[in-house]
Amino acid sequence: MLAKRIVACLDVKDGRVVKGIRFGHLRDAGDPAECARRYCDAGIDEIVVLDVSATLEGRAASHETVATIAREIDVPLTAGGGVRTEDDAIALLEAGADKVAVNSAAVHDPSILSRLAARYGAQCVVLSVDVRRTNAGYDVATRSGTHATGCDALEWVRQATDLGAGEILLTSIDRDGTRAGYDLEAVKRFGRALRVPLIASGGARDAASFGDALLAGADAALGASVFHDGDVRVAEVKRDCIARGLEVRL
Amino acid sequence: MRIGVLALGAANTRSIVAGLERAGAEPLLLDRPARLHDVTALVIPGVAHAGFVIDAIDRGGWRSELRSAIASGLPTLGICAGFHVLFASSDEAPQALGLEIFTGTVRRLTSAKVPHMGWNRVHALAPTFESGWAYFAHSFAPPPNLWDTAAVTEAPPPFTAVSAKRNVWGVQFHPERSGCYGARFLKRFLQTARETVYAR
Repeated sequence: MLAKRIVACLDVKDGRVVKGIRFGHLRDAGDPAECARRYCDAGIDEIVVLDVSATLEGRAASHETVATIAREIDVPLTAGGGVRTEDDAIALLEAGADKVAVNSAAVHDPSILSRLAARYGAQCVVLSVDVRRTNAGYDVATRSGTHATGCDALEWVRQATDLGAGEILLTSIDRDGTRAGYDLEAVKRFGRALRVPLIASGGARDAASFGDALLAGADAALGASVFHDGDVRVAEVKRDCIARGLEVRL
Repeated sequence: MRIGVLALGAANTRSIVAGLERAGAEPLLLDRPARLHDVTALVIPGVAHAGFVIDAIDRGGWRSELRSAIASGLPTLGICAGFHVLFASSDEAPQALGLEIFTGTVRRLTSAKVPHMGWNRVHALAPTFESGWAYFAHSFAPPPNLWDTAAVTEAPPPFTAVSAKRNVWGVQFHPERSGCYGARFLKRFLQTARETVYAR
């Protein structure tokens, strides 16, 4: 049976791993390739590298960072941040990424999803969605969380998967970097509605919080600062998952 | 042994190159059919739409060169979409004719969630291969058969994880991203290729 995945996210700015709270207050958290190698050795199932300032600075994600990480690890690598065109995505894959995450550009022009899927297959196209909770549900924010679109996130991911997105990386801005636990209500709602895999992101607190998200319906749970700060070890997370009857890779 | 990686414009090229380098090879990127003469082993990488790959094979004039090299015994490894194009056809691109090395049709997965994404167990059915955890990312797969399926994985339902037919191996998972298990798989392919006497 397919195992649930524990994913580590490296938010990169100017060639360094950074981490903040609710997409702000960034602080240094190390060298990307070194972090990736360490998590890989610790048993992480996948690495996501997001260039967090690329969109705001109007450029594509750093290829050198992706290339360095890709050489270091032997687990899958998803790269994103600043992907606006098919060529940006191609460059990341040529640099050694296995999947590409698209966020703001897809909201602006959803056809990028179908164009990428026609070339690389839907399994290569990850739609990254940053959401804020509202009274009615969840709204999509773009440009590293700085721009509220007013679009309903559930409607958006449904449309995106029809177009060719093969996976959804759902980040709760409200929970990002807060260590308050994942937004389990969002995970439940999106997990039930989706026929493609769902990666839950934002709010990882301790080893048990990953299992909470996976039991709520996520196919993968992503952590950043909890891993960077050394508060949670991958092995601990997996032991907790096994104890709760979840299938994980050992 | 000189190993080539087919470069058709859609693939995780650097990822597979890095994987082969970790396994001890020095792969060449093949960007035109004539370069097939420079190699004694071949990898057709994945991370692509099967229709795009077949189209690139025909547009670039690869079809007859590839088929004749493979028929002459060139040790060949197809990965994911690079595996699918070795069949006659795939549900991903029903109008496109594949290379017809393996018989049958690659089918769309019928699991609850598609793509089948992440780590799953490979169950070896032939002594050449071993069982273990591998990384998958695909919406299509060949159904198991009695003649060249060498390993299976349960999505569920079960699909072919490895096919082997003479000098041609095909894998549904990504050995370049499957940790130690994947590295051992690539090393085994390289070892088999080294032991193969291939001369066109």
